[in-house]
Amino acid sequence: MIGLKGTLNVIDNSGALLVECVNVLKQKVNNGWGGVGDEIVCVVKRARPVSPAAQASSTAVKVRKGDVRRAVIVRTKKAVRRPDGRMIRFDDNAAVLLNNKRDMLGTRIGGVVSADLRMKGWGKIVSIAPKVI
Amino acid sequence: MFRSLRAATKLLTRSTSTTPSPYPFSNVAILPPPPETAATPSLRKGKGIMQYIHKTLPCPERQALIMRLFSRRHPERLLPGSVVAVTLAHAPTSFSGVLLSVRRRGPDTSFVLRNIVHRTGVEMQFFVNSPHVKEIRVIQRAGGGGGKEGRRMRRAKLFYLRDSPEKMSEISAGVRG
Repeated sequence: MIGLKGTLNVIDNSGALLVECVNVLKQKVNNGWGGVGDEIVCVVKRARPVSPAAQASSTAVKVRKGDVRRAVIVRTKKAVRRPDGRMIRFDDNAAVLLNNKRDMLGTRIGGVVSADLRMKGWGKIVSIAPKVI
Repeated sequence: MFRSLRAATKLLTRSTSTTPSPYPFSNVAILPPPPETAATPSLRKGKGIMQYIHKTLPCPERQALIMRLFSRRHPERLLPGSVVAVTLAHAPTSFSGVLLSVRRRGPDTSFVLRNIVHRTGVEMQFFVNSPHVKEIRVIQRAGGGGGKEGRRMRRAKLFYLRDSPEKMSEISAGVRG
């Protein structure tokens, strides 16, 4: 249940560390709560310093503090129900940054992701995640 | 016309003589076997229905598993603090962790396992009667009352383990060693 002002850890190597949710992009509703597999608009609150090589290049993606980006939620502290009734809950909220075309910004994911992503259509993220539970 | 009629009756008699279909409208429908204790007159009146359902709803193997692992007084029951591995019928095929709590509600019985995967704590709640649950295996039993297995946990629900990773590693240290 991620809503306005909810903070999430970023688990890919795009450079952001902590993002804050600003809007949950769900059809038919502008506000509301985001769960695993929902796309959100977020503000980067903390980011790793941009490397000098990336700063020089014009094609590399530079994520800085204060950027407004899109992300998909991959882990939530609120329990999520699976179709057979199982509940799964993680210890933190985590997200993976995306661009406007729903492609990942980073190239690697460092951490567990929820298997509910597959059901919502994020098979690419599930395939590069080190562990899917 | 007579030939087709004769063929139809022959088919009917053949099917009824060799394999009597319990469901007359389809021969591919699978019906569960009837329970061993048939419905008594007092059951039909409505006395003790819930207890009857609790006994007969799960299949006998599953029922035996519940009676052994999730009853309140069985000597082999699962105590909170034991390390349990659950095998599922689909992906992710197995999940193991420390048993945090058992919620006893008859057919609705469920338990929560906690594990730390890639530096993130993950908790999963499994329902015992789910057909997806293939096997529940105890890796390390929590202590019963001192001795080799150690002292038992003094709580039924170990939610305090969420805030203390050192206690979790204490329990899991016994698994490796």
